[in-house]
Amino acid sequence: MKGVHKVVDVLGLGLHSLVVHKVRSALTVVGILFGVWSVIAMLAINEGLSREAQRTLRELGSDNIIIDSVKPPAGEAKAGEQQWGIMHYGLTRQDVVRLRDNIPDVVRCVITHRTLKKAYSNGRIGDVSVIATEPTYADVSRIDMLAGRFFRPDDLLRAKPHCVLTRSLAEAFFVCDDPLGKVLRIGGQPFVVVGIIRQLPAALAVGSGSDVGNHVLVPISADRMRFGKFTVMFGQGGSTFEKVEISQIILQMKDEESVINGSAVARNLLGRYHEKRDYEIRVPIEEIEAMRKNRRLWTLMFTAIAAVSLLVGGIGIMNIMLASVTERTREIGIRRALGAKKRDIVVQFLIEAVSLTALGGLLGIAVGIVVPWAVEQILGVMTVVTAMTMLLPLVMAAAVGLISGLYPAIRAAKLDPIAALRHE
Amino acid sequence: MSALVHLDDVWKIYQMGSAGVPALCGIDLDISEGEYVAIMGPSGSGKSTMLNLLGCLDRPTRGRYSLGDRDVSSLDDDELSQIRGERVGFIFQSFNLIPQLTVLQNIEVPLFYRGVPRHDRHPRSRELARLVALSDRVDHKPAELSGGQMQRVAIARALANDPLMLLADEPTGNLDSATGSEILTLFDQLHDRGRTIVMVTHEDFVAAHASRAIQLLDGRIESDRRN
Repeated sequence: MKGVHKVVDVLGLGLHSLVVHKVRSALTVVGILFGVWSVIAMLAINEGLSREAQRTLRELGSDNIIIDSVKPPAGEAKAGEQQWGIMHYGLTRQDVVRLRDNIPDVVRCVITHRTLKKAYSNGRIGDVSVIATEPTYADVSRIDMLAGRFFRPDDLLRAKPHCVLTRSLAEAFFVCDDPLGKVLRIGGQPFVVVGIIRQLPAALAVGSGSDVGNHVLVPISADRMRFGKFTVMFGQGGSTFEKVEISQIILQMKDEESVINGSAVARNLLGRYHEKRDYEIRVPIEEIEAMRKNRRLWTLMFTAIAAVSLLVGGIGIMNIMLASVTERTREIGIRRALGAKKRDIVVQFLIEAVSLTALGGLLGIAVGIVVPWAVEQILGVMTVVTAMTMLLPLVMAAAVGLISGLYPAIRAAKLDPIAALRHE
Repeated sequence: MSALVHLDDVWKIYQMGSAGVPALCGIDLDISEGEYVAIMGPSGSGKSTMLNLLGCLDRPTRGRYSLGDRDVSSLDDDELSQIRGERVGFIFQSFNLIPQLTVLQNIEVPLFYRGVPRHDRHPRSRELARLVALSDRVDHKPAELSGGQMQRVAIARALANDPLMLLADEPTGNLDSATGSEILTLFDQLHDRGRTIVMVTHEDFVAAHASRAIQLLDGRIESDRRN
């Protein structure tokens, strides 16, 4: 019982001298407060950036090789490549066969054919990007189904006029009605809506000439049967006819290593059979690597700044505590003469340091929650304050307080009581 | 009756570089319970060293010192702290109160380090404040007190743990003569009630209050007479 009393008393003693030295205590608390809230805010912003990056990375799909058909630069187009006013370019079914047969470790190979068409339903009309593809597209693109289903192998086999809409299109054409089972006329042909997706992954929508929102996915067989192989583009100064057999090939690979290997083979293979640069190979893993590197750099920088601000706070505490020891040398001598053990002196000064940091830390957490929130409101940057990002600075602050308080405390206890008593 | 304080061939030698400078050279001294001893001598005679040793702030280089029933000449730092807190009551020339604490809190410091619970400390410190006639000043800070009042707080603090011996170092040195004699009267009263008091002073009229005067010179006891 005696021990418990003593703990409570020593605690009271430490806190009491804080109240007595108000200005000094306030300055220390403010120092830690700034350190902690800036760390929390920075970690929150960093975490927000990190989550956004992760989402992008997930959408890109690190195991994919994406090959797009692109219109070759105007200068490279030779007269012979235009047949009866139709410009023919891009990837072909032969390319698909060559790629599939020559690249090792291909898990899935999905092709799409992309066109821009008019669609209407219920008296509403609009431009849509039609993506004709295979059922496995859902697997490689990792799209979220909001309602209904994606088309099935059976739909592809029978070239069923089924379609899957993005949410924004579903809302544009059907407003409040349930679009499932309804008919949407695409390029004059009726398609039955079987599913709704959130949106197309940004990585796959690149080059489709439309934002990620306005897409209709249909079985590629149905597209071929109803619209043929031609793409009519309405460019500036009149319409041009273009023939693109395949708009995009997505090769899903076994692992990240096979992606690197496979992309080299694909580059070699396509270079051999295509005279012009009418294709583009994208390897998300390369972008992912660059992004990860970038992210690591940012995290490192944020952490460094955070550590420095806490370090500065810690040095501040140590400085203040050392000044406090010098200033109170005589008090230490008196206490020692009146029966205080070295341990008592250490504990007294430690309690002062730790309670200052704890107070600063708690206030810092409060401010550290408000600041990222304000940043999110004002700048629109996503911030995430997690228990971890709150706990970490608090633990660090406590550690800084303990370490920076320990040295002055030990120094105080080591003072010779006779010399300390004589100290002026 | 065995002596309260027993010094047996006590030496204190300070190491100054390679040379040892003796401050106390073979002191033999017994002080019995209830004695009022004045230790006198010119500066450099070893008074302060003697005081530090008697107060257990320091250990003798050689020889034996027992205070009460304990040999304290070879105790470690923590044990010395405990002995100081329980058996010695210090009274200093410059009072040495803790400025940020009130009168009552200052009196409680030795009780605090001895581990007396809070609810037992308060009545004890109030009683001590009444003993030195400061009941109406208990919540004041030292800066708000006169020199005489501060020294009375220090005396109350020295009595807090009911020590074996009061150890006073020039207790009237910073006071005017009227206040000084007031404090000396207080010492006389404490002596009359059976307190053992050891006081270092260099003034004869102060030493005259004591029942025994010890003269130090060059680290040796030059004379030891009873009044």
